[in-house]
Amino acid sequence: MNLSYKNLKLVTCGTFAVILVAGFTSCGKKDVNSPGFEFMPDMYRSPSVESYGSHVINGDTLDNAMLPVTGSISRGYIPYVYPNTPEGYEQAGLYLKNPTVYSEAVEKEGEVLFGKFCVHCHGVAGAGDGKVAMKLPGPPPAYNGALKNLPEGKIFHSITYGKNSMGPHQSLVTQEERWKLVYYVQKLQGRKTVAHDSVEVEEFDAAGNSHIFKKAAPKK
Amino acid sequence: MQNNMSHFSLKSLFGAVFLFFAFSFGLKAQDGAKLFKQNCAVCHAVTDQKLTGPGLAGVYDRVQPGSLSKDAWLHSWIKNNEKLIKSGDAYANKIYNENGKAAMTVFESLSDPDIDAILVYIKNPPAPKADVASVPSAGSGEVKEEKGGIDPLYLLLGAIVIIALIIGALRSVRHSLQNSYNRKEGKEENPDITFNEEVKQWLGGHRRLVGVFVILVAFGGMKSCWDACYDLGVYYDWETQKGYHPEQPIKFSHKLHAGENEIACQYCHNSVEKSRHASIPTVNVCMNCHKAIQSGPEYKGKEIAKIYAASGFDPKSGNYTNPQNPIKWIKVHNLPDHVYFNHSQHVVVGKQECATCHGDVKKMTTVEQKAPLTMGWCIDCHRKTEVAMEGNAYYDRIHKALKEKYKGQYDVKFTVDKIGGLECAKCHY
Repeated sequence: MNLSYKNLKLVTCGTFAVILVAGFTSCGKKDVNSPGFEFMPDMYRSPSVESYGSHVINGDTLDNAMLPVTGSISRGYIPYVYPNTPEGYEQAGLYLKNPTVYSEAVEKEGEVLFGKFCVHCHGVAGAGDGKVAMKLPGPPPAYNGALKNLPEGKIFHSITYGKNSMGPHQSLVTQEERWKLVYYVQKLQGRKTVAHDSVEVEEFDAAGNSHIFKKAAPKK
Repeated sequence: MQNNMSHFSLKSLFGAVFLFFAFSFGLKAQDGAKLFKQNCAVCHAVTDQKLTGPGLAGVYDRVQPGSLSKDAWLHSWIKNNEKLIKSGDAYANKIYNENGKAAMTVFESLSDPDIDAILVYIKNPPAPKADVASVPSAGSGEVKEEKGGIDPLYLLLGAIVIIALIIGALRSVRHSLQNSYNRKEGKEENPDITFNEEVKQWLGGHRRLVGVFVILVAFGGMKSCWDACYDLGVYYDWETQKGYHPEQPIKFSHKLHAGENEIACQYCHNSVEKSRHASIPTVNVCMNCHKAIQSGPEYKGKEIAKIYAASGFDPKSGNYTNPQNPIKWIKVHNLPDHVYFNHSQHVVVGKQECATCHGDVKKMTTVEQKAPLTMGWCIDCHRKTEVAMEGNAYYDRIHKALKEKYKGQYDVKFTVDKIGGLECAKCHY
């Protein structure tokens, strides 16, 4: 009787101890969505406004990734006069000329840009056989096929506003980069001669407004 | 290029010959599929989904050809829609205006049998595989919520409560048993002491057991403190070498986009070469492809629909008419606010690959922080990495000066720390 009572006590205490130790040593389920405990959080989160943060200013919460204020333009912005309409497309094809002076280096830069911004749909040779093109409802037409005679203005216009399944890329590549791309696209179209090596100043009229478009002087 | 061109025309010649034979053998529908894919599918779907142009399901029933037959009208429309519009055809002008006066490409190159084949294909489109699959799998495609075991803390608390109840019950049983035993033996009854006093008595009588117990508790406490130290906010688990990898609001997979589809990092993170930030892509970048690609391999249309919800895109009409909501992506790579880091500096001038700091993102389904992003890690890299000076106009002058200064010491490596990469004010100001 006495013995079994003592055993009972031992077993109870033993169980209690084991559970306590297990509780302390077992690792809890870690929350993958938690970045961890911030040591000195005021160093991580200063009052200064940072990009992609959520900030409270005068009681208003400014969330990350908001649209810029209407009418704001970025530094170095050059307006593009042709509207995103079928007429604008045709006009760009007629009047818009490449202001960047052609050189091998410029075309090389165009090739690098092409590898970053175009190749996944249009394919390495511009045949419309990129990896993403396989997933599109219809692949883009080949540069040296259906688009063989597409003028430079239309190429630029298409990059800017998009065409058919292609989306607008004006927020991705600057105007300067777009013109470099145009040179490389023209190479894939099968251009043999360099189109722009002469000094020319062109004036033209688009969408009822008069605009002067100056071509850069060629290298001496 | 000349060679290429002749090859191309040869190919198209063969294609034409093949088409001709194919027609003679009645393979119309298949060719129609091929021709449709080549010429029409960029803008039209055979379903009623609107891409750039309207969906073509039921186009035969819709057409109001006026004086022409339906076939003749469709033929002249497909061949040269501009001419048909200019001729003042009522229905042609109606659909031209309905679709925002977007000009359809002229297909003078398509022959009448070609167009017939396409029309046959449009009339009998293939069973819409993807759409059928997307409906039932909208729910089942979801990854099952992991049902983790019960939290050990609750188990512990439950056990404590049960044991306390057992102890209380046993205590009163023992008390009454002891009393009845004492009564039988003719001894005095046990005094009715409180629980606290009894615990004190018990602790006094079991010093060794209590000692062991205290040691165990102290050890457990120390271990949990030690574990907690690893969690201190550097967003990196040193123990498992696993970085911070939170779930994002959209289950975007870099493995699919950058890996399988081979989209360059810079396509979406397009300010990485121009700005301090690599930038989280804006929704219009997603929409460049997802306007047309409306279903994915893993979650079908479920996750892509979140992009539409954010951009206000209405996939039925193909216009941005719905309200817009920003996607609140969760930042994975966090630097403290008092650290200045510039992406363009490292990528353009320093010529560093994205993977140097971000790991092989092309294999990550959920982006994970691969580098610890501690100051020690920065400094370590600045000490080891040689500056890419050759062919880098930015360093022309300093390279010349350094070559002069260290003339004769051929083993000197121009690492980043040698040109001020360890100065405090380079990153902290």
